[in-house]
Amino acid sequence: MIHFENVSKRFPGGNYGLSDISLQIESGAMAFVTGHSGAGKSTLLRLIALLERPTRGQLLIDGRNIGRLPDRDVPAHRRRVGLIFQDHRLLNDRTVFDNVALPLHVAGVSVREVGRRVRASLDKVGLLKKEKSLPLTLSGGEQQRVGIARAIVSRPPILLADEPTGNLDPELSREIMELFLAFNQVGITMLIASHDLDLIRSLNRPIINLHQGRLT
Amino acid sequence: MRRQSGEPAALSGFLDQHRRSALRSLKDLLRNPTATLMTLLVIGITLALPASLLSLLQLSNSVAGSQPNIPSLSMFLKPGIPDEQALTLSATLEQKAGVENVELLTSGDAMQEFREYSGFGDALDALDENPLPHVLLLQLDSEIESGPLQTLIGELRAMPETGSIDYDQGWIERLQAISLALRRVIEAIGLGLALAVMLIIGNTIRLEILNRKEEIEVSRLVGGSNAFIRRPFLYTGLAYGFFGALLAWMLLSLLLIIVSGPLERLAELYGASVSMAFFGIQAFVILLPVGILLGLAGAWLAVSRHLSAIRPE
Repeated sequence: MIHFENVSKRFPGGNYGLSDISLQIESGAMAFVTGHSGAGKSTLLRLIALLERPTRGQLLIDGRNIGRLPDRDVPAHRRRVGLIFQDHRLLNDRTVFDNVALPLHVAGVSVREVGRRVRASLDKVGLLKKEKSLPLTLSGGEQQRVGIARAIVSRPPILLADEPTGNLDPELSREIMELFLAFNQVGITMLIASHDLDLIRSLNRPIINLHQGRLT
Repeated sequence: MRRQSGEPAALSGFLDQHRRSALRSLKDLLRNPTATLMTLLVIGITLALPASLLSLLQLSNSVAGSQPNIPSLSMFLKPGIPDEQALTLSATLEQKAGVENVELLTSGDAMQEFREYSGFGDALDALDENPLPHVLLLQLDSEIESGPLQTLIGELRAMPETGSIDYDQGWIERLQAISLALRRVIEAIGLGLALAVMLIIGNTIRLEILNRKEEIEVSRLVGGSNAFIRRPFLYTGLAYGFFGALLAWMLLSLLLIIVSGPLERLAELYGASVSMAFFGIQAFVILLPVGILLGLAGAWLAVSRHLSAIRPE
């Protein structure tokens, strides 16, 4: 499903975000990416979502080299990749419902369908009653779950999470991870960047270790 | 929201996208009504200025243009020429090329007319002899070119009986020339002001884009296409153009109502009739599409310059 072949990412100024990464994540798999800050965890995820383009090597998703995807096809690619951020990236002037509905609006889903799917998604993260709230009135854990609902609402085959539990206490972190396990069970390919080693070791999933942009 | 059951899902999704973008743009405009109203007033006044100048010019042209456009000239004979000679002359002139018809107004007829209309009847009785000359009113061929016309006028002037010649088409020609020049000036001003409206809208949209930077970034993150991200801004530009033009039209209508009294009186004096309603409708039909186009163009300008710079972090 996700296949890195000698992928390097060099940033302007000459810093390597990633160098010579080769790895493969099967469809329906779940893996963690770990390493110190600056090791390239985020860069790895950003490449998959085409927020960055690889400088060298091939990055194949479903057998397609997305490194060469023309700009106009990038939005369609991103709709197949759900993104979850440490800082949620919610729009604070819109309700929970509108935040979660955004990917569906973007994809041109009809109004009736939007309502149904947003509620299904909010139900999965246990926030069905909060659809009319504004994000800032929610707790950190709830905001993160709104972000997760937004990421899964368009039913993407791939879900990427960049330090999703970075700001949460251990108990909430575990709850979030359990949500991810549940998503993985229904066949979503998951890649989660985290430096919470204790937590991810307890989950018995492959761990990709990065050090200064290289696999270790 | 109502839904026709026959709409295919993709189309209804597409229409919903547009509906949502348009509604969102309107809501955003209403969120800050004072600022929106001020921007609309600037646009309205800027559009109303050339529109009203053009309308007034057109009104004055329609008054002038309603004069019958058959060229004619008056030939005043020297005093003391007998009636018979004037009659013969008029018959001769009728044969000339370019002359359609000649009417003789003898000094006696002229005196009679003057006596009736001027109210100086008693004063005229005191005169020993009739001071008025015979007048020949020549109606010319309406197709006559200015070269042959000048030749004709020259010939007439050279005749021994001629006292003076009054060719009174001149003022209409001058008026038309002046109004043409004025029209060009107004059009140039109008073009400049239209450009200004476009830039005003473009700048307003630019600020709006900066205000909504975060929303644009998040939209990109979840796979929003350029078209999707552009759409609400284009609708906002369209709304500014439309409502600005509507405001301009209202200002123009107000002006037309104010000047309609004096103008109708003026038109009456010239035997013309002007329809204010017609000018109102004409301005409406022209102003609205122009406003919408300027709004879209301004928004497009801002969007194409500033949207691509906003990339998700």
